[in-house]
Amino acid sequence: MGDDFVLQFEGISKQFPGVKALEDVSFDLRRGEVHMLVGENGAGKSTLIKILAGAHRHDAGRIVINGQPAEIQNPAQALARGVSVIYQEFNLVPFLSVAQNIFLGREPRHPKIPGLIDHARMNAESRALLESLGVDIDPRTMVHYLGVAQQQMVEVVKALSVNAQIVVMDEPTSALTTREIEQLFAAIRRLTARGVGVIYISHRLEEVFQIGDRVTVLRDGKWIASMNVRDATMDVIIQAMVGRTIDRLFHRDFMTDKGQVALAVRNLHRHGVLQDINMTVRCGEIVGLAGLVGAGRTELARVIFGADPYDAGEVTIFGRTLRGSPVECVAIGVGFLPEDRKREGLALILPLRENVVMASLRRLFPSGIIRRAKERGVVSDFVKSLDIATPSINRMTKFLSGGTQQKVVLAKWLCTQSRFLIFDEPTRGIDVGAKAEIHQLMNELVKQGAAILMISSELPEALNMSDRIYVMHKGRITKELSREEATQEAILRHAMGVTI
Amino acid sequence: MSKDWLSRLSRVATIILLLVALSVISPAFLSAQNLTNVLRQASLLFLLAAGLTVVILTAGIDLSIGSVLALSASVAANFIQQGWVWGGSLIGLFIGAACGLLNGLMVALIGLPAFIATYGMLWVAAGFAQVFMKGEIISGFPTSFRLLGAGHLLGIPVPILVMAAVLAAVAFTLRRTSFGRYVYAIGANREAARLSGINIRGNLLLVYSLSGLVSAFAGLVYVSRINAVESTIGEPLLLPALAAVCIGGTSLFGGEGGIEGTLVGALIMTLVTNGMNLLNVSPYWQSFVMGAIVVLAVAIDQLGSEKAGRT
Amino acid sequence: MSDNVWRAWARRATMAPGAVYALILLSLIFSLFTAQFLTLPNLANVGMQAAVLVIVALGMTLIILSEGIDLSLGPVLGLAGVILALCVKQQMPLALAILLAILVGAAFGALNGVLVAHLGLPPFVVTLGTFGMAQGLALVLTEGASIPGLGPGIQYFNDGLIAGLPVPIVMTAITFLVIYVILYHTKFGTYVFALGGNQEALGLAGVPVRLYKTGVYVLGGALAGVGALVMTGRMNAAHPTVGVGLEFDAIASVLLGGTSFERGKGWLAGTLIGVAAVSVLRNGLNLIGLSTSWQVSMVGTVIILAIVVDALRGI
Repeated sequence: MGDDFVLQFEGISKQFPGVKALEDVSFDLRRGEVHMLVGENGAGKSTLIKILAGAHRHDAGRIVINGQPAEIQNPAQALARGVSVIYQEFNLVPFLSVAQNIFLGREPRHPKIPGLIDHARMNAESRALLESLGVDIDPRTMVHYLGVAQQQMVEVVKALSVNAQIVVMDEPTSALTTREIEQLFAAIRRLTARGVGVIYISHRLEEVFQIGDRVTVLRDGKWIASMNVRDATMDVIIQAMVGRTIDRLFHRDFMTDKGQVALAVRNLHRHGVLQDINMTVRCGEIVGLAGLVGAGRTELARVIFGADPYDAGEVTIFGRTLRGSPVECVAIGVGFLPEDRKREGLALILPLRENVVMASLRRLFPSGIIRRAKERGVVSDFVKSLDIATPSINRMTKFLSGGTQQKVVLAKWLCTQSRFLIFDEPTRGIDVGAKAEIHQLMNELVKQGAAILMISSELPEALNMSDRIYVMHKGRITKELSREEATQEAILRHAMGVTI
Repeated sequence: MSKDWLSRLSRVATIILLLVALSVISPAFLSAQNLTNVLRQASLLFLLAAGLTVVILTAGIDLSIGSVLALSASVAANFIQQGWVWGGSLIGLFIGAACGLLNGLMVALIGLPAFIATYGMLWVAAGFAQVFMKGEIISGFPTSFRLLGAGHLLGIPVPILVMAAVLAAVAFTLRRTSFGRYVYAIGANREAARLSGINIRGNLLLVYSLSGLVSAFAGLVYVSRINAVESTIGEPLLLPALAAVCIGGTSLFGGEGGIEGTLVGALIMTLVTNGMNLLNVSPYWQSFVMGAIVVLAVAIDQLGSEKAGRT
Repeated sequence: MSDNVWRAWARRATMAPGAVYALILLSLIFSLFTAQFLTLPNLANVGMQAAVLVIVALGMTLIILSEGIDLSLGPVLGLAGVILALCVKQQMPLALAILLAILVGAAFGALNGVLVAHLGLPPFVVTLGTFGMAQGLALVLTEGASIPGLGPGIQYFNDGLIAGLPVPIVMTAITFLVIYVILYHTKFGTYVFALGGNQEALGLAGVPVRLYKTGVYVLGGALAGVGALVMTGRMNAAHPTVGVGLEFDAIASVLLGGTSFERGKGWLAGTLIGVAAVSVLRNGLNLIGLSTSWQVSMVGTVIILAIVVDALRGI
């Protein structure tokens, strides 16, 4: 029976600094099956795939491909073992033809003239591959002129052309329309009909039942369950995904009477990203924004903050309808703690001191001239009150730890005296102690009358911290849950687009 | 921090080494006259490099400084020669600022890569300077104008005083004003700066306009000093100015460095030129040396920061 | 039906690079204002003068496609010409002299390429530095003077005929064909597009990215060496600063021709049209009686307008 498995993970573990990303994960992939991999954000799916693709190295356990232990140390070795990963950002070159993309790095030689590429053969083979998947694309077309769905198909064909035995797809349908999804599924079925094993990561539960043969659930880096899809129900899968207990690490003081409306969003629309968003956030409350990666939460936050444009609708903050720019938002007291603090929240090569006052220079020094003593005082106060661990306020920000860096970003917005704060994944990648401190701070802030919109992928965090929770799925708000209604199951259900 | 000190130390050491080497090679070097001369030459280079430093701190570049200098100096000189010292100077400064503003519009508003926008400006300005001068040389300016480049105040040559003033002004602006903070923030992480509510476009427009303005000012000092102007005076100035900024430790990737470094860089470049003159090296070697120094300076800086783990 | 055809044409027209419009417009204007413009001798003259520019611009096209730039190509061409002339004056065999000139170009390309590809330095600063180096070397080797009177061997590259066609035209045509084949029919060419379009994908495909990036600059430098041959032939002399500014016309031609700094978008034939537009502009301004200085500012303005319009059109 061992021959039946094209791939086996045996006790894979992976430790990142401070985080155990994978712990003793084992599961297998049969020839010709579609194996769905589901789990919350941060469950370990991506890490597992990156290990398979040769982008990460595992610390313990082994990978067995076709019954043989496989050492995969880089992408080239993964490719040689017949592993092909289709990432969410496409690896296509826009101004090369479909055929040239499919054969990139493996161009066939011209039979007669040395040094030249055999375009005829490349096109013919590409055409055959495309046809075998039932895809109607001329291999001579430039990829730039293809739609997203067609580009996805090119990626699939590319995987096929290297004789992949294992194809990994990471949320392949997130940008596709219903009809395009059907096309993709048809292509996947043709792949499996040839004996290719497909690992399919999805955030849409209905897809598990549409295309999956088996499903494996990961949670917090651990293997939870594998089952045949025909034996599974949505409830069983959701139960497996959320089964973790909520530890009451943090205490929230809930206010009974809320203050003025901080944020009101009406019929907000951004083409292809956000649809018909309506929401309010009041002073004195933390509103959670839940959903899975790609649901449009960060995109919504950025539009509210004026960092990205929108096509229709209205954003009103503290009664002012905004034209949409971060300059304007900061001026009226809005703060935004981005998800990727290193790329968007901090200037890492500048000292802590300059980062803290970066957004408040106009308020602190209306004349435009910086008074050193005042600056030092303000920054030192924040270092004390937020307990920022740094040897000096002049320490370059890149030398601080993740939790400390997040506190610096937080200090930046407290320094502006923001009354409405948008937190995007406030405690991601932060150790437990700092996490509790940040939660404590958020609690204090709303008690003092601030409003907070919090994006969190950690369900316990969202449940514990929020007064209310909006759940997003595919660019829409699918549900507003009160604190009483909100459970892990309810959130996941709506986040995965389950309507019943 | 230690790397910072090391590189600063190495720059000062370079200057001392050059000073010692040059005084050993040529006794004429240490004469007060030659040293004053070195400072005076350095001041011209420093002025032109000052605006460029600020642009590079925002992770931009301005390749047009040399020809903007030539264009504004050419136009200004025409008026100044006829006796309109103040009017002509103001027109020159205005032209410089306008060229800079155009650069800023292309970079900040339209979003063109800075090197190509300012490279286009390089040729437009150079062309117009030639058109304006028709290949002629204007010389002989009123004494009141010559004070700027050739005069003395309290026994010190005016250009050196100007250099000190500009150094102080730029250093103050960069360190002690909000605008200076915005310059560093934009260069260090443009997206973080934008998400902190900093007006990127407005500040970049200001930075490029200032660069044009400072170039024009450098042009006035230059013309006043050599008492003549022709359309091609700006051509050989871009490389030394860029070299001065690079040697001075301002990172081409933005957000790191400062005007003090550029002063050191300008001094080093001038000492190198001066040394080559003292050693009777053919002036034709100069552009090779300038080019090689630019390449070496950026390469060493990059290798150093790779080791220091800049992301 | 006809409506659709019109629409298709209209779409194609809006997709065409700025050079096409510039060329048509300029030709019209100059034909109207000067009788000389639309004469066979004048157009032949334009073609002959454009030969060097085409050769340099072809190399520049590949460099820009790979998301780079090379400001040193002009002075490198000047230096290669100087080397060529010096070798000829030393009675070296012509073939060897030509080879050395091309090798010097390639060597500067290699220096640029290594600094850009391996050290990750911004290409415009690196090549501005090597601009100075090449310029300085050319001046040092000639002490700033021209090297005239190189003899019939060199003059052949201007006066000679192959199958009834002037040698510069034939050389340009051959260079175009060779670069065309390289760009569209070899791995190297494919990777040039990928360097600009998606460098990461190229790396993931197991291609040695840095090696190929360096190769692009080497090819560009070598082509500047070839251009030096034609240039030196035309003047029957080498002048150390003859190439300065040529890199600007080359960049202008490439960008006008619809090749972009981003995403590896561009095409080789567009560069030909771009060169035609720049050459016609210079020639026409000449005929109208405007000096080279006007030409410089006009070309500068046209190129800025072209890039700005392209940026605003979002293509």
